[in-house]
Amino acid sequence: MLKQIGFILDANRCLGCGACLKACQINHNLPPTLTWRTIRKIEDESSDGKRRFYLSSACNHCANPECMRVCPSGAYSKRRDGIVVHNSSKCMGCKSCVASCPFSVPKIHPETGKATKCLLCYDRLDLGMTPYCVKACPTRALLCQEIHSISLDQLIRLTAPLPGLRLTNPSVYYKEPRRLNY
Amino acid sequence: MPEKHYHVCPRNCYDTCSIISTTVNGVLVSIEGNPAHDYTKGKLCPKAMNDIQKVYNPSRIRYPMRQRQRFSGNWERMSWDEALDMIAQKIIDSKKHDGNTLSLALNKYSGNFGALHNAMEWLFSGMGPTTRAVGSPCWSAGVDAQTYDFGKFFCSEPREMGHAKLLWLWGVNPAWTAVHQMPIIFDAMDRGSKVICFDTYLSDTAARSHRFIQVKPGTDGLLALAMCKVLCEENLMDDKLYDYTLGLVEFIDYLTNSIDLTEAAEITGVKAEIIRELAIEYGQTCPACIWVGFGLQRYTNGGQTLRAIDALGALAGHIGEKGGGVHYGHFETWKFAGAGLPEQQNRQLNINRFAREALACDKPPLRVLWLSGRNPLAQDADLKHWHRLIQQLELIVINDLFLTKSAQAADIFLPATTHYEHWDLNSSYWHYWVGINEPAINPVGEAKSDLEIAWNLSAKLNRFEKGSCSFPTSGSERETALKQLGPDMLRMLGLNTPEEILDRPIKAKFPPTAWENHEFVTPSKRYEFQSSRALAAGLPALPVFEPALLPSKETPLRLLTPHHSMMINSQSYQDALSDYYDLYINPRLLENYGLKIGETAEIWNEYASLQVKVKVDMSLPEDVVIIYQQAIEQRAQARNALLNSNLSDMGDVAAGGKGLAINETFVSLRKLTPSERSF
Repeated sequence: MLKQIGFILDANRCLGCGACLKACQINHNLPPTLTWRTIRKIEDESSDGKRRFYLSSACNHCANPECMRVCPSGAYSKRRDGIVVHNSSKCMGCKSCVASCPFSVPKIHPETGKATKCLLCYDRLDLGMTPYCVKACPTRALLCQEIHSISLDQLIRLTAPLPGLRLTNPSVYYKEPRRLNY
Repeated sequence: MPEKHYHVCPRNCYDTCSIISTTVNGVLVSIEGNPAHDYTKGKLCPKAMNDIQKVYNPSRIRYPMRQRQRFSGNWERMSWDEALDMIAQKIIDSKKHDGNTLSLALNKYSGNFGALHNAMEWLFSGMGPTTRAVGSPCWSAGVDAQTYDFGKFFCSEPREMGHAKLLWLWGVNPAWTAVHQMPIIFDAMDRGSKVICFDTYLSDTAARSHRFIQVKPGTDGLLALAMCKVLCEENLMDDKLYDYTLGLVEFIDYLTNSIDLTEAAEITGVKAEIIRELAIEYGQTCPACIWVGFGLQRYTNGGQTLRAIDALGALAGHIGEKGGGVHYGHFETWKFAGAGLPEQQNRQLNINRFAREALACDKPPLRVLWLSGRNPLAQDADLKHWHRLIQQLELIVINDLFLTKSAQAADIFLPATTHYEHWDLNSSYWHYWVGINEPAINPVGEAKSDLEIAWNLSAKLNRFEKGSCSFPTSGSERETALKQLGPDMLRMLGLNTPEEILDRPIKAKFPPTAWENHEFVTPSKRYEFQSSRALAAGLPALPVFEPALLPSKETPLRLLTPHHSMMINSQSYQDALSDYYDLYINPRLLENYGLKIGETAEIWNEYASLQVKVKVDMSLPEDVVIIYQQAIEQRAQARNALLNSNLSDMGDVAAGGKGLAINETFVSLRKLTPSERSF
């Protein structure tokens, strides 16, 4: 099987504090209006109890990246470790990727007019370091791992039931948040 | 070459993080957590991550300014020399006029908790007896309660909580206000510990817990007492209590005669069978730890609430237990040496009723007010009194980083340095670490540290009138910081010389478990269920339930204003500012008041009214509404206009004055017609 590095988030540990998002933004010199990470607050209730949790997500580095498929200028590529890389020197700013990504990941950089997204800090990974977001997480909720090597029995894909999920096969897993006795 | 420096986050926050900065050519380029710190472990919260942006923020004030007319915004740049001349002249004139220095007032609190920020107090002490804001807007009732019970206010090393098999988080929201405690709690959960959160609303911490117990506001003390009663009934009390406690029989008598579970269930909103179940689990599980937050003591019965929770811990035998105890905070590592100035007979005004008490001062009235590390116009109760006081004052000086809401009232603004621009020494009120704070860069613009401002003003005063201020007129900031480590602190930290703290932050050498071996420091040397000191202070000797204030017919909703994850009081780290406050209410109130989500409504009481946007929180009781901290007081009416200075029951003995019963603010809600809405 091909190698695939991806994010794993333990939703029981994520506080939605935004340290990951901020560390990414600061270290990648992103302008204040642009973030590569998003934090969503999710609430649901069933007969088993109530849940309120946060999902911190960035690029899912999909197995079959739609951004790469639609890009007319070949700006996207997938590394041998599965990281989806965007090469801004090839990008024309046509926004095809912005429109086609089922997870609305690529964004247009307000200063360059080109697409931009999380590159999983591959330059840091190549040096044996962790991505900025993972390093910043105060609760160790966010991890970055080779995802085929881990047991997936306790992990789920909370991005479902998007049709894009089947299509692109995102490389991100979540540890399901427990329900609250309340 | 990049240079590294040590810093300590000086904000009024549990975590007090150890920070390492990197500078290149004298410019601060990055900051990161210090991995050598066993509590903050190299991680920073997003508030601190904004520091570089804050240091070089274009709206930071870089030179002294004077405002021609208060609240006009008509600021003019002036030199330090002119500013200090003006202030010194006014001080000398006031002293001449009154024959004493009592008309000079200092109101300082927690804008920066570094030890050298006491320079403002030292400066005032050097001038003679002055008027001071004393006490704390935060934790006073709880501090006194624990002082009555244990003899002093102290708690176990916070990582010890990880040993607890049962963890009760009571009125505390560390997911927002102490993020470094959360991995300790999560790791305990991973090892099988059970976490129960008690609060008035479903906080983010409650959402991360196994179980949430919703308690009606101001009734936590009764809940604890009811559980105490269950421990007695179920014979789950520590059988050695007679060896190390005082007043056990009297306390059990009180529980037997005055506490009724059915009635307690009615008042607290927690069912009697759940009270029993919780108490039994707490009594049977070892170790079991309680962490009590500051919010539940911000009531007129707040001290009693903490005493009741302490008593529950004691009764079950969890005090002094490794991984157990009742955590609240501590002040043991704050024994800084000071400046060696004589104690003055100051005129002391409770910080929570400062304006009210200041207006009542004559002989002499207040003439000069210095605000330092404070933003009362955005934070304090009694705003109407504040505005009357401002009219009376002849000179208002503020030293700060930004033009705050309170700076709008000032005559002179003095630019302060950040913790990247000065020496300091910092301790935490939660963990046991003490660290040096080094300057990494030169002060931005003409900013000066509090210590330098104090030296310079003392020099001016002495030039105008020799001997008018006994505080030094110059010195070394580094030496002054190191000097704060006197013999007590050195012993506590296990250091031979103060210079050793320059190498790294140091953790105080306390036993990790508070009240280990049940060696209490109360007058009886026992844990005191029955406190003669409480009695002497005019309080019941035993922890008893005294009802908090309840909403009235005119103002049927209790307004809670909890801390926000991206705010430290009025210091904001929120990226986007809104133009209005969001009011969170129970969805049923929408129906009752004919409101829609997102609609502009009005809340008001006898002190003020405020337009808000309505939002829904399913977890809120129908008589409780919430406005979280938002730094919009410069754009809209500040929410503290609704606050009255009700005081908590305790605080005079160890905290310098009674606390603010801020959670006893009541409001009414009203739908607005389209023409009445301002947004």
